[in-house]
Amino acid sequence: MWQIIKNEWSALSRNRTLLGLSLGFLLVLLLSVLLGIQQTQEQTQRYEQAQSELRQQWENIEAMNPHGAAHYGTYVFKPSNLLSSLDDGVNSVTGNVLRVEGHVQNEIVHSEASQMQSVSKFGKLKSSLLLQYILPLLLLFLAFNSISSEKQSGRLKLLVLQGATPSSLIWGKTLSVWLYGMALLTLTVMVYAFLNLGSITTEIVNRTLFFYLSYTLYYFVISGLTVLISARWQNATVALTSMLGIWILWTIFLPNILLSSVEQWHELPSRNEFQTAMREDRSKGIDGHNPADERGKELEEQTLVEYGVDSVSQLPINFDGLRMQADEEYGNQVWDKHFGHLRDVLAKQKQTYQLAGIFNPFISLQNASMGFSASDNLHHQEFLVQVEGYRRNFIKILNDEHAFGGSTTGDWGWEADNDFFKSVPDYEYQPVSLSAVFPNYIPDLLLLSVWTILVSLLLVFGTKKMQIV
Amino acid sequence: MKIRSIFFYEWKHFARSPFKVVALLLFVLAAGYGLHNGASLYHDQMAEIDRIEQTIDENRQEYLTYYDEGKPGPENAPWINLAEPFWAVWFNYIYHFKTPSPALVYSMGQAEQYGFYKRETCWASPYDADMTQEIANPERLQTGTLDFSFALLFLLPLLLLTLLYNIKSMEAEQGFLPLIEVQAASKNTWLLSRVIFYLGLLAVLIVGLLLYGAMLTGVFSAEGGAFGQTLLFSFFYLLFWSVIYYLILRSGKSILGNTLKMVGIWLVIAFILPAAVLQWISIEKPANLMTDLIDAKRDKSQEIYDLPDSVFRAKVDALFPEIPTSPVAQDSTRIATAYSDCYSALINELMKSSIVPIEADNELKNELVRSSYWLSPITFFQNRFNTIAQTHYENYQIYRNEIQAMIDKQIRTMVSDTWNDTKIDKQKYLDYHTSLKTN
Repeated sequence: MWQIIKNEWSALSRNRTLLGLSLGFLLVLLLSVLLGIQQTQEQTQRYEQAQSELRQQWENIEAMNPHGAAHYGTYVFKPSNLLSSLDDGVNSVTGNVLRVEGHVQNEIVHSEASQMQSVSKFGKLKSSLLLQYILPLLLLFLAFNSISSEKQSGRLKLLVLQGATPSSLIWGKTLSVWLYGMALLTLTVMVYAFLNLGSITTEIVNRTLFFYLSYTLYYFVISGLTVLISARWQNATVALTSMLGIWILWTIFLPNILLSSVEQWHELPSRNEFQTAMREDRSKGIDGHNPADERGKELEEQTLVEYGVDSVSQLPINFDGLRMQADEEYGNQVWDKHFGHLRDVLAKQKQTYQLAGIFNPFISLQNASMGFSASDNLHHQEFLVQVEGYRRNFIKILNDEHAFGGSTTGDWGWEADNDFFKSVPDYEYQPVSLSAVFPNYIPDLLLLSVWTILVSLLLVFGTKKMQIV
Repeated sequence: MKIRSIFFYEWKHFARSPFKVVALLLFVLAAGYGLHNGASLYHDQMAEIDRIEQTIDENRQEYLTYYDEGKPGPENAPWINLAEPFWAVWFNYIYHFKTPSPALVYSMGQAEQYGFYKRETCWASPYDADMTQEIANPERLQTGTLDFSFALLFLLPLLLLTLLYNIKSMEAEQGFLPLIEVQAASKNTWLLSRVIFYLGLLAVLIVGLLLYGAMLTGVFSAEGGAFGQTLLFSFFYLLFWSVIYYLILRSGKSILGNTLKMVGIWLVIAFILPAAVLQWISIEKPANLMTDLIDAKRDKSQEIYDLPDSVFRAKVDALFPEIPTSPVAQDSTRIATAYSDCYSALINELMKSSIVPIEADNELKNELVRSSYWLSPITFFQNRFNTIAQTHYENYQIYRNEIQAMIDKQIRTMVSDTWNDTKIDKQKYLDYHTSLKTN
């Protein structure tokens, strides 16, 4: 079989058109890696600049009432990660700016896609675009007449007479085409690794390895299936058009149609419904700004009993801060319920969509590629959860200062000093570790493996009765 | 051979090619599905607007009863006084909608990237968080919805490829080409006629699909002849690909060679060039993190609150020169309260000035996109279809401008009535609703 692979590769290297095509493709691929890295660097620089500017503003607060500071709030920007230069995922359609303030969990806004007219339906020129859409086509063009041309020229008969088995021929052809794809993929990953040598961590290596594995499996499926079709059909044109049909169905038709359908099966609320339901639930809790609020009165009674005094004016603390925090904690339950529901629906959508990998391995590849590049919706949701966790801690620190920082109830003119504001921790993004999210991508890897086994079995059994002439 | 005969034989050839017929049916299926997706979004948006309008009516009825009962406002909110212009305007629930065009059925464009309803208040801005997109799965947004324009822009060239890929080259490979030359007066006319046959077939198909789409949302009632314009640009697009494929067929002699060239061109035009343009723009002009807007909302707004009274009042008077001669300005006991209602006016001016560089930045990006049309024709056609369907960036920019104009009008009315000591009764409350709904 190795002899067949060697022969195939030497034949491929003699084909000038293919060499030219490969070279051109390789150049575009490398360009995509370079541009991807450049864009990530630009974005990271902007992100760091904006984040530090805002932190500076926060630390420059000379003196302010802590609750006033909760309304002043801060902003968190969505950071870009190194792997997004390989696959940008959902980054351009999700927002970039998230306001962190008291009383409310905000939504992320100002997406890149909303800042200009539409340009590309398939995203930026990232490696993933070429590796997912174009490279499989190249493999398809390499493999579609690999067996049928041997049949038509009579060479197949000659090879069999010389001792080659049909099975070894088919496997040899499949592996030689697959290795071509692997060579381009390996080169891309190596260039990416070389250009990011200083920033590579074990986490990035692990993620890149799984990214690599997903493409490895998919390329085998494409190579094997095309060689199989080439073996079954006498006519190379029919083989090519059949595989092109499959490619169109897998990469253009089904992802679009299935994602739209999945969104209808597991419906998300409209923004208006979502906001109205939250507002309604929120109104049932404590109103931190309204001293006459009944639930606020109950809290007041409890606090007076706890401190053994008759009125809030006798309290050694500022009751307004306690009421604000109680308001926040009630609000947090409301946000958890409604935003949690959104996350549940999105998770169901994702799980259902992942199942579509049963009849379309491209879907599994796309999910795995985005997931291992930390740029899918799951990672986006994790980022939002992290920011919300930060917001709750941030507001609690401010409310605690309001309550226990030295002021008394009703003293809205009291101000915390600059040292306090400097002591409030800044938001620091904790990259989601692969081990924490890996179970979510098991179905994708599993389905790609199943497809690989299926194609292997078809190559073994489906070509046993292959006609030699 | 007469052109009519060429058409006749081509029809027979087409009807006997199951592969070509299936491809055509698949395209019809995809385009039909896309039309239904567009229609569904149109109906969803219309239903949402109806729901909001109903809620507005209910809310306003509640506030009208306070006027009937002679109460200043809800009992649990004693600070509200509906006789004051500020509160009467605030509780008028003025919304501005971007009512979808029926032509949305053809191109969903950027409709899912922006909000289409907005409550106008004196404190609102067209860049508020509620102007963001509807809640949707980001992965679906990234992949895009299969709408009619997607089918037309990306699948039509593939269908055309399927219909044309073996024309002439099959005859060349089977050795019939000399025979054709004998039968037909000119080989090129014969080839051109066959290409024109499919062009005609697809043109008829497009007309049929557009008519079907028109029935789903009533496109003929849309402004500006959306149907005719979509049809025209669809024909241009079809012609664009037909010319490219014709030139390939004319020069090539093998089926495989032609197929590879056609697919290659399609890949470059549909995938590589738009993606490269987008990547280039993202590097030239990275996503705006809106720090100008953030500064305006926080620090610069705070600076306005911290202004000494004399400076603040001078700024307000400069904005509203009629204030010093107004009735309330003559009553020293009410001046401070009336001025406090003017903070929103100065902050609105501040927000407007902070928006200018953001929009200029976006316009630069759009300029870059426009300058790349010659390199990425698919981007040009995509944006043409979006413009016709009123789902283009520019349409949302107009919507934002309208919102800003309505906010300006609301502030002007509120400030003017406050300083002229206008007492708001039920009729005036109703008048506000009528007058403030338009810009």
